[in-house]
Amino acid sequence: MAVHEEENRKMSYPLDPNSYRIFQKIGCGVSATVYKAVCLPMNSTVVAIKAIDLERSRANLDDVRREAKAMTLLSHPNILKAHCSFTVDHHLWVVMPFMSAGSLHSIISSCYPDGLSESSIAVVLKETLNALLYLHDQGHLHRDIKAGNILVDSDGSVKLADFGVSASIYEPNSSQTSSSLFSSSNLWFNELAGTPYWMAPEVIHSHVGYSFKADIWSFGITALELAHGRPPLSHLPPWKSLFMRITNSLRLSDFEKCKTSKNKKFSKSFKDMVSSCLSPDPSRRPTAEKLLKHPFFRNCRSGDFLVRSVLQGLPTVEQRYKESLLSQHDPQAVVDDGEDNEESGPIEKHRRISGWNFNERVLELDPVFPTQDKENERKGIRYDGENIFQANASIHAEENDQGKSNPSLSQIQSCFLDDSDADNDANDEQDKVEKEKLQMDLGIDRNNEDDLVTNSEEQEEYEVTSTCTTVDTPTVAAAPLVPVLKLIMDSLEDERQVLSNLIAGISGGHIEPKPEEDIHETIAQLSLQLEQERKRSSDLEAKLEFFRKTTTENTEDISQSIYGVQCSHTGPINISI
Amino acid sequence: MKSLFKSKPKTPAEIVRLTRELLIYIDSNSSSRESAANKTKREEKMLELSKCIRELKCILYGNSEAEPVAEACSQLTQEFFKENTLRLLIICLPKLSLEARKDATQVVANLQRQQVHSRLIASDYLEANKDLMDILISGYENPELALHYGAMLRECIRHQSIARYVLESDYMKKFFDYIQLPNFDIASDASVTFKELMTRHKSTVAEFLTKNYEWFFAEFNSKLLESPNYITRRQAVKLLGDMLLDRANSGVMMRYVSSKDNLRILMNLLRETSKNIQLEAFHVFKLFAANQNKPPDIVSILIANRSKLLRFLGGFTTDKEDEQFEADKSQVIKEIAALGPSI
Repeated sequence: MAVHEEENRKMSYPLDPNSYRIFQKIGCGVSATVYKAVCLPMNSTVVAIKAIDLERSRANLDDVRREAKAMTLLSHPNILKAHCSFTVDHHLWVVMPFMSAGSLHSIISSCYPDGLSESSIAVVLKETLNALLYLHDQGHLHRDIKAGNILVDSDGSVKLADFGVSASIYEPNSSQTSSSLFSSSNLWFNELAGTPYWMAPEVIHSHVGYSFKADIWSFGITALELAHGRPPLSHLPPWKSLFMRITNSLRLSDFEKCKTSKNKKFSKSFKDMVSSCLSPDPSRRPTAEKLLKHPFFRNCRSGDFLVRSVLQGLPTVEQRYKESLLSQHDPQAVVDDGEDNEESGPIEKHRRISGWNFNERVLELDPVFPTQDKENERKGIRYDGENIFQANASIHAEENDQGKSNPSLSQIQSCFLDDSDADNDANDEQDKVEKEKLQMDLGIDRNNEDDLVTNSEEQEEYEVTSTCTTVDTPTVAAAPLVPVLKLIMDSLEDERQVLSNLIAGISGGHIEPKPEEDIHETIAQLSLQLEQERKRSSDLEAKLEFFRKTTTENTEDISQSIYGVQCSHTGPINISI
Repeated sequence: MKSLFKSKPKTPAEIVRLTRELLIYIDSNSSSRESAANKTKREEKMLELSKCIRELKCILYGNSEAEPVAEACSQLTQEFFKENTLRLLIICLPKLSLEARKDATQVVANLQRQQVHSRLIASDYLEANKDLMDILISGYENPELALHYGAMLRECIRHQSIARYVLESDYMKKFFDYIQLPNFDIASDASVTFKELMTRHKSTVAEFLTKNYEWFFAEFNSKLLESPNYITRRQAVKLLGDMLLDRANSGVMMRYVSSKDNLRILMNLLRETSKNIQLEAFHVFKLFAANQNKPPDIVSILIANRSKLLRFLGGFTTDKEDEQFEADKSQVIKEIAALGPSI
């Protein structure tokens, strides 16, 4: 039996560190490091070893346990399975197959900053869908689908990796006891888990929780990431991208913008496939099973095609990692054998980073808008931090700025908010009305978005500079509390906005004198309203800041216990509300 | 989930009966030395069995389209425990494919919570078939089965009488070894089960600890708290804290904190480089210091190490602010400082 053989093979990997010879580091993060190594007793088979520092991943051991268990019990050709795992002093070594071409994020960063061809994307996505179909059938949510977690081997085979934040509907976290445990209510999760740019709106903000369809959203974002070399909204700081997601508006326009600015033409079936995944209403997104039948995946090529079209001439994972270190790219740029813990890596750096470094980063971000700075394009595209910790930092910075009422920044900020949110909400509203109209709005939106982008970039610069100043103060310790409050506040605001927008839109629609002007008026009104809300929220935040300062580090502890913030090895955040 | 029986839907009870027949077939037909025809037939039956188990899982858990129906669950449960289906399933588990094993584990887990006429009939069945626990526990010795049997075992010990049986069996001693197996998946699964056994049913645990104090803590100290394995020590000292701080175990706690050997072990754990272990050790150490009836040898150890302890505690902080910890710490410092004149 095949299963039997596999088990046997698996068991023969020795459970002691002396049987492995470590070659080099191919990725690292806050609490885990990934090495390329060979297993000596097994004819020096090449393996990847993820060494998780159990002392540093101070969240409970249960997450580590759950990840190890998932990697043992899941068995599918498109899922990276662990050979074995064992402890070496206070490290857990997870021995895995070495996927020699590394992650798609690393491949794109180093060689395809403008994204892959559609036929290559189809191969990658189809294999990923096979994995998702299996996972969902097993009652598992991956919760962190992104190019950084999709690995490729030299033969073109594709595997989904990193179950650090995955969850199973059959294994509830808390010890629930009711017999109705497995009724459908159990299919819903409420934890905030994943990586901001890839997170579905309902994961960020929902009253009812989320389920398998959240993976489908992230899958759609991943499709865009593969197509453009970066996920949508990655020019914004992560928390702002979350904010945008809740308003549901920038998404399509961002997609359109990228398409036109990159002079990349995508087929109708690709666009259709992606937009079905990115439906704001989770129930309207297709299941993995249905997606596999989508015309986009018809006539899909095989792994050999990937080898010929993508992998040829690619630097090795080791080289890419070294390069990224040399050029001071953040380690996230090279995601190795599936461990995206690297993402946590940049945080530490960030906290010590100076304003100068950040200016460099702004340049790095330029390739995102190639029409402006084609010559600035570089091999390694980087997104801004992908981690909520950075989001915290930005939020902090903003708070401080608002608190001190730094005039220039607040101006920029209000510009930004006026332009984007009001407009987008207007778009949103029309989105529901007519699709034809949307196209037109997208045109408008595109213009605005360019402003928006400049603004946000400038703003980011300020933000991080001030982050540095706040870093050493105890307020940072309270960071985990802030994004949650912030999110709640923001989303409430948004809901208000959307509602009043709708009301205004409907009443305006009845009279129908000059709809365009009406909308502009509404926008102006709304911006005013938003301004006021902003002020109010900044007051609130100032208060919060005060409380936080008085309680200093204590707050972190509270937030840790209340929100269960886990700065675990998993890198992506895992906050349960 | 696609139903195998869409054309001719079977009742839950019928699926259970079919499952049972297939299990009996699989159990009695070993795979070695058989004709090709036999082998094909066996594989077909195997496939059918896997589908049946998947079907049972769907009835019990529902699927994306439908929630479970109480009546169907009840029928299934009744039929399942009417005969020896559970035993057959457990015995045949090694012959199933990985996917069928996972499904079977989830089915068994769910059945433990199903009530029929407001009775947990799984409990009645297990009480009459306690030897099944022996099979499940020894699963930890087989890496291929450990996680499946382990998960089933944890569900079975939700029943108090079954937990008592396991606590009183000789298998308890084996857990000290299972927890330290080199394979992380299995060792950590065993330690979750062990923790469950030692904390879930308070009165039973208190009774067990009182009766088995000597050997249990001798093993616990030497094998777990003084284990060379970091993760074993870390989990053990946490569990020790959980057990001793439980009100139901106050008698056991008093006994534990009156022993100078125990104090020595905990003081050594305080000296570990691991912050996590230090912290958990402190939560046990504080009990020694807070004890109002400290035996003389405890007092003398504390006095002999007074300056060291006070220096250590003075600089002992958590990464994050913890009011309870600070309060405990200052009380411990006070207790130690107030001990008689130094020797």
